[in-house]
Order: sequence, then structure tokens, then C-alpha cells
Amino acid sequence: MPPNLRCLLVVLSLLSGTAWGAKVSLTPDNWGHPAGEDCVSCHTKSSAGIAGQWKESAHARAGVNCMDCHQAEVGDADAITHEGQTIATVVSPKDCGRCHTTEMEQQRGSVHAEAVAVIAERMPAMVNNVAGPAIEAAGCAQCHGSEVNLMANGKLDPNTWPNSGIGRINPDGSRGSCSSCHGRHLFSKAQAREPQACVRCHSGPDSPDKEVFEASKHGMAFMANREKMNLDGETWVAGKDYSAAPTCATCHMGAAGKLPSTHDVGMRNAWNLNTPVSERQYLVVFDDGGKRELPESMSAPRPGSRVPKLDGTEAAVKMVATPQRRRDAMTLVCRECHGKDFANAFMTQFDEVVHLYNEKFGKPAQAIMQDLYSQKKLTPAPFDEPIEFTYWELWHDEGARARHGASMASPNHAWWEGMYVVGRNFYSRFLPQVREVAGSDAAGILERHLGSVEQHQWLKAPEKGSPILGVGNPRGGNE
Amino acid sequence: MLLPDFITRHVLFAMVFGGVAGIGFMVFLIEFDHYTSSEAFCTTCHSMELAAEPYRQSSHYLPVSGVRASCGDCHVSPGVFAATWDHFVGGKDLFRQIFGADYDDPVINALHLPEAAFSARDWFRRNDSHTCRRCHEQEAIVGKRADTLEIHQQDAKDKTCVDCHINLVHRPVPERATYKRDAWNRMVEQQFGLEAGSAERLLAE
Repeated sequence: MPPNLRCLLVVLSLLSGTAWGAKVSLTPDNWGHPAGEDCVSCHTKSSAGIAGQWKESAHARAGVNCMDCHQAEVGDADAITHEGQTIATVVSPKDCGRCHTTEMEQQRGSVHAEAVAVIAERMPAMVNNVAGPAIEAAGCAQCHGSEVNLMANGKLDPNTWPNSGIGRINPDGSRGSCSSCHGRHLFSKAQAREPQACVRCHSGPDSPDKEVFEASKHGMAFMANREKMNLDGETWVAGKDYSAAPTCATCHMGAAGKLPSTHDVGMRNAWNLNTPVSERQYLVVFDDGGKRELPESMSAPRPGSRVPKLDGTEAAVKMVATPQRRRDAMTLVCRECHGKDFANAFMTQFDEVVHLYNEKFGKPAQAIMQDLYSQKKLTPAPFDEPIEFTYWELWHDEGARARHGASMASPNHAWWEGMYVVGRNFYSRFLPQVREVAGSDAAGILERHLGSVEQHQWLKAPEKGSPILGVGNPRGGNE
Repeated sequence: MLLPDFITRHVLFAMVFGGVAGIGFMVFLIEFDHYTSSEAFCTTCHSMELAAEPYRQSSHYLPVSGVRASCGDCHVSPGVFAATWDHFVGGKDLFRQIFGADYDDPVINALHLPEAAFSARDWFRRNDSHTCRRCHEQEAIVGKRADTLEIHQQDAKDKTCVDCHINLVHRPVPERATYKRDAWNRMVEQQFGLEAGSAERLLAE
């Protein structure tokens, strides 16, 4: 094994744990709570659906019952008394982690677990300006997670629950919701390995990962070969237990060859793609198990140095994975089916699309908006002027779509649903709106930010025609 | 008419008078219990009006069947002696109403509510929910969903009604074991727009 690959695997093992979903190491005398039988007896009658799912689950086969997951201590913030037992309705990663320790630790600090913090700066404007508080509970928080609150009267606050958002802030302080992907109460391995497990949130205009995957060769291969995917397999190592196609879980979490699996879903991502301008990111792992990303333009923090976490508190750095290490990990998954040159060249195509978006659209548009704000052409309030929606959609929806399309090999989403719409928006909505709000200052602002961008120079040659629009086709075709 | 010798005129008079008085006393007790079990009587204390507000929104006040449960139907034991005893014991509430905290104040009332709820639940448990069973026959609870009958005959066999059914009528209060005074105080403060910590101050007064 080449030394740099060995080094990568050491780093990944430290970040990941074992080669696949860790075997629970506790002995069965840690579960099988005696009160569980009463729960099952009554709930088989009162809510036969969930009881039936549980009865078919690996949990039931192992003797793990309702109380093993739902038991609570009297002092817990969300403890209630139910039929004489002290329980909590919400089962948090901390609860699951009593047995599934490795998965809990990997998940902790991941982009999934921190999904509330990730949008903390965006939420107030979305909820308070564009929509209203009702949309937070039914929309935003259903994917990103709510801060679940047990009211003093013993009932869960309907503004915060039901909720299985992936970054849910639980009453016990833990973050995340295992049932977001591992639907309760069957907790099927196969279901979590399906692309469908991710669709509830990774679909739609701003994160069309479902659509991108389905329109890619990977999605095509999955749908055509679903029965060969060994989705129920006890282990699920790409290239060993299955090779027909990858799913979301394969590339972002799954074990592949020597690459260990991980429940840190963002670990193998070198870029952030859902930002106005993309940048490669370090993954900083703290000694308390927390994690955060830092842009490559900053110098990497040294192990032992203290760095602020996403919640504002400081912690000591345990290790830093560079963007290249993260990319290398992702590439190891590719390598189970593709050659090295193929995988690297694919990544080059992807990176070039991100650079194109950044340099041609993302950076100039951001700089133009900053000028409009600093010159008081726009009020500071977001979304009270049409150009603010235009700019928001440019990077948050259309720009993200283009970048995600390229990252997962859907030509349609990279171009027609993505960069084409970015270009259309930029030239036909954004620039005209800049001219409108900036008036006589527009020419100066645009020249400052677009004048040196080579790919906008065609605007300066309006006399140069093309038959593309189908007007006066010189060849007299039949289109 | 032949009467034993010891039945003198005075004895006869005492028996008739005693009998009539006894019947009169029983009638009085029945009427007394009946009247003092009514919503109209209970809510003559303003503090009870605060308990009655949620009751008037509840299914025990507005059942589909039209069978309305009054205060005493749930909170006073069946049987004239037991009922009289309950009213006698309940006299301590009257004492507190007059000499205790200002339960007529909605804030004070809400702050003290959990303890009242716990003590009411204890009473129901001690009596095997005997007032519920006045109307609800466990054997006959069929319900609308398929398994209600089975649950009431199998899983609820050794339980009493309030083991499962609480917070049906009055403002919901958690069970004692998992109830948190601190959270309750903050909720009351928020409801009445009071500053944090004022609940503790009011309770200490």
C-alpha cells in the first residue's frame, strides 16, 4: 500500500470507526426491560401499526423493547409518567447511543447533527420576513430540526414536535434524529440504504439530490438492478457485498473496499456547495467529539489549539482533515468501480463547474450586491426588493442545483436545470435589476465587477450574431 | 290496641318524634349533599370558578350523550354517609379559601393547581376511581376503535381509571413523579406576563 494511502486510511479510521455499522458491543442483559411487555401488550391493540413494525424489526428479534429506548429518568427535561413508567416520547441519538455508540459519536458534530446551526443566520429572515412562524414547524424544522420542548403541562409543544429533523435539538441536549433516516419502528437497514431514505429533505429546488441522482447513470443503474443491491445484507461494503450501483449512502457514508463507513455524512465532501460562493473546507475535529468546517483560505488550525465551535464555545482541536483528504476518501468509493484516472478526471469536471459558477456568477454577484448595500441603493432588510429574491435564488437554488448536478453526474441538472438557469437569471433578471436600482451608477458598478471577468466579455460584442435562436436560419432548416 | 307496659305515652311520643326527626335528618343530608355537590354551590367560591372554566369546555360538561357530570358526581363519594364525610373533609378547603392564600387570584390559583391535582388523583386512586365507576362500567367500555374493549378488559384489568385517564376536565398537570415545579412556575409567569422569579415570591407569601 502506498504510504499516502496508508496515512489516509489511518486518518479515516480515526474519523470513522470500524469498517461498517459497528456491531453492538453490549451484552443482551443490558436490554429487555421487564416493563416492556406491558407496553407491547397494550400498544399492539392501541397502535397496532407501530407495534407491528417493531415486531418485524431486528430490535424485537434481539429482545430490545419499547422501554429500552423510551425509558427516562425522573429529572430528564422531557420525562413523563405513562402507565406508571417514566418515559420520554422523543428518542434521541443519546438514547440510541447507549448501544449504538460508534454511530452516535460519528454523527455528533456532523453537518447533519448541526443542521440547525447551519441555517441559524438564514432562518429569521425566512421565517419572519418571507413566511411566518407556522412555516418553521411545518417546513424548515422538519428537515433541519426543531428545538423540542416539553411544556410544563407535560405535553410536547406542537410548535416543536412532531419532528424528526436531522439536526433536532433534543431535550437531553443531544443533536440529531436517528429516525430521520432509520424510520421508526422498523429501523430497517435496507430502508436506510435506499436513496428514498434521503428524499424527504434532499429534493426540491434548492437541494434536488433525489432528482440529480435519478437522472444520473448511478441512479439508472440502481433502479435497473435494485434486486442485486443486497440492501438487507448484514454487511454492506461496496465492491464486496454489492456492486450494481451506488446509492446516496454508498458514497457519503458507506464502506467501500478498505474505506470504513461513517455516520458523519459530510466527512467526504471537499466543497461546500450550498453557499453564495463555494470554497473547499477543512474538517476540524475537536477533542470533545464535536466538529466543524473551516474554509481552505484560512490556515489550518494546529492540533491542540483552541478554536470556536459552531455554538460559539471553544474547544481544543484534535485533528484536521484537509479538503484533499476528504476528496481522497470520496474517491476511494469511486475506485471500487472506476479507474483512478476516470475518478480523478470526473472530479476535475466537477471542480471546473464549481470554479465556473464561483468566478463567473457567484463572486461577481456577491460583490455587486455588497456595492448596492454599501451605496444604499438597497435597504438592509432582506427580501423587500425584487433583486434580493433574484440574488438569493441565483446561489441558493439555481447555483446549488448546477453544482450538485455536476457533483453527482446529472448532465441535465448541471446544465439545463442548473447553470443554464443561473445564466438566464444573471443576464435577464439580475443585471437588469441592478441597472434599475443603481440608475446612473450601474455602469460603474458593473464594469468594476464584470469588466475583468473574461466570460462576460461577449456582452461587449452585441453585433456578433448566432443562429441559435432560430430566427432567420440561414440554412433554411425545418426546425 | 294492646301495647307493652313500658310503652308509655312519653316513650311513644319520643319514638314518633325521633323517627320523624331521623327521617328529616336523612332527607336533610341527602338534600344537603345534593345541593353542595352542584356546580352552582361549588362556584360560589370564585376560586372554583377558575376550576370550572376548563370543565365547561370538557367532554364531561358537554358530552355527546347529554349526560352531564356535575362537580360532585366526580369529587364526592357515592352513598349519603360517604358523601357527608367528603363534605366534612372538604370543609378544610373552605377554611383555606377564607384564611389561606388568595386562591381567587388566577395567578395564585394556577401556581397552587398542581398540588390540588395531585391530591385529587390520590383520592381517586385510594377509592379505585369509585366516582368514575358511577357512570363508566369497565366491563361495558366498548369504544369506537377496535381494541378499546380488549384493552379495558385485559391490560387495564388491575388498574384504576385515573392510572390512564387524567387531565380530562381541568387544566392539564403532569403526573407528580415527573412534574417540574420550575417549569410550571415559568409557564404561569409567561401566561400572565410576570417577570421571571415572581412565581417563587408569590408562593412564599
